[in-house]
Amino acid sequence: MKQFKSIKRTYGAFVNAGIQDFIAYKASFFGFFIGEIFMCFVMYFIWKAVYASTGRTDFMGFSMIDMMVYVFLTHISGFLIQTDATFSIASEIKDGSIIMRMIKPVNVDLSILFFEFGSKIMIITCVFVPVMVGLEIYRYITLGYVAFKLVRLILFMISISISYLLSFYLNLIFGYLAFYLLNIWGFGVLKEELIKFFSGAVIPIAFFPGVVRKVFSFLPFASLTYTPVMIYMEKYNGMKLIFNLSLQIVWLLVFIGLSRGLWKWAEKRLAVQGG
Amino acid sequence: MIEVKNLKKEFQKTIKDPGLSGAIKSLVHKKTETVKAVDGLTMHVDEGEILGFIGPNGAGKSTAIKMLTGILTPTSGTLEINGQIPYKNRKEYVKEIGVVFGQRTQLWWDLPLVETYSVLKEIYCIEEKKFRERMEFLNEVLDLQEFIKSPVRTLSLGQRMRADIAASMLHSPKVLFLDEPTIGLDVVVKDNIRKAISKINKNDKTTIILTTHDLNDIETLCERIVMIDKGKMVYDGSLYHMKETYGKMREVIIALNNPDEIKNIKPDKKFGLNADDYEIEKKANSVSMKFNSAKVEIPDMLNYILASVNVKDITVKDADIEEIIKKIYKSEVNPGEAV
Repeated sequence: MKQFKSIKRTYGAFVNAGIQDFIAYKASFFGFFIGEIFMCFVMYFIWKAVYASTGRTDFMGFSMIDMMVYVFLTHISGFLIQTDATFSIASEIKDGSIIMRMIKPVNVDLSILFFEFGSKIMIITCVFVPVMVGLEIYRYITLGYVAFKLVRLILFMISISISYLLSFYLNLIFGYLAFYLLNIWGFGVLKEELIKFFSGAVIPIAFFPGVVRKVFSFLPFASLTYTPVMIYMEKYNGMKLIFNLSLQIVWLLVFIGLSRGLWKWAEKRLAVQGG
Repeated sequence: MIEVKNLKKEFQKTIKDPGLSGAIKSLVHKKTETVKAVDGLTMHVDEGEILGFIGPNGAGKSTAIKMLTGILTPTSGTLEINGQIPYKNRKEYVKEIGVVFGQRTQLWWDLPLVETYSVLKEIYCIEEKKFRERMEFLNEVLDLQEFIKSPVRTLSLGQRMRADIAASMLHSPKVLFLDEPTIGLDVVVKDNIRKAISKINKNDKTTIILTTHDLNDIETLCERIVMIDKGKMVYDGSLYHMKETYGKMREVIIALNNPDEIKNIKPDKKFGLNADDYEIEKKANSVSMKFNSAKVEIPDMLNYILASVNVKDITVKDADIEEIIKKIYKSEVNPGEAV
């Protein structure tokens, strides 16, 4: 218990610093925010055109409203699970400043994680809440009844938190590659594109042919934004919901284990760059 | 307090042939060689001691410091600090030490300085009362008040260094590692930092390991020095002893009423000194005379000078440690030995 308290105290300080750091760069954040919202509307009009041209109200089981919720929610989820872990750890490894973390009585991965939590808290209050309110108002106006369910929101939050952690540890693992490669820019880009593709951020996974869909659905990338969004949209129910949440948790444990193992391995063989 | 025995650290270094063809070759086939950065270091440091840890660039100082601070794992050898083995349980070990790497910072770059201290307060679980006392002391010693509310990125190098030292001292560590704490600073700031280090050492009985290229740091702060070169220890002892052993040369600076009179003194003839032990140099308003004090006692030399010429002013200077260290560095360089 006492240990838990001191852990909470230590990493709470990182969350606090993360919030302040986020606020220090508000201009850059709002640029990003506006860009994301802009993209959402572009997607909205593209799909609107698609539905208008097919003349159907239902497309692969997605109504127009479903598609809107999907587009906005996927975007916002991408925002929530986005992490700078790869480049922040890689650049610290590259220039050797990682030692400044190592001389403090903290876990290197947790200190980065909790610092990033700070900015996530800000994103949830400044972006997630307003967009969700807007989306639900839109759903209410078009459907004529309240489609919002609190349980679904809670399940979504649980699932997206796991997704974020998954994404964080996956990124951290890529970041640790810098111990061997030093410059990981190329691999960083590759990783970004792969994750986008496999996670259904480019094309909904439901649109892929059967076999591919099966494989994708077992990979961790699929669960990053797709699972929380499907949960929120009530496309995942009962056993399917439990299965997908469990799958996320299993992958998370795999990634945490892998990154911890890699770190232990690297720590023993570490050669610090510069100075 | 600090016990190091036969400490070694080897690195695998990739070698690339020069030019574009070399770069392409290294893509396909990597050639590596083993570099011994620290090669059998043994030393002991007592509690409350300030140890000057010196050596030329690339001597292995930083690698040694990184092993002592628990960042690097030694290839072989043992080290024990505070009864703990640094690399075994890094998180526990670093609670008891403070580290300043002069070329890096541990401060939160975009936040006001005071925020770094509040984060550190939580990381080290320092109690509110103790934290305030400590801040008061550090503020008094390092004069942080004027910039404590400014974002770290706006601080000058001197301010940043003071802030960094304070950050490393906040949790009252038993051992403090200062890796080039005066690098790039002006004379006044250097002097302030030296005074602060000395005060911290006296106040807390902190054991301090100081690496530096500025020999004035060593002269004002350290009673004992350890000098390493190519990963091996070349000297371990007091500064005084080093001067005694390697620095028998003394310098006498004489200003004469009539500069031409200098021809009248010939100490080399009088005391039978050869070229190694005697050197004379005429400067604008004075004459500098260097001689080996092992061959001629200082009073004898002074008596002889005062008796021979009409002196306006006379000064005797101690051995210059910069000269001594240069001599030691040179004598220890062993070109035949493989690195």
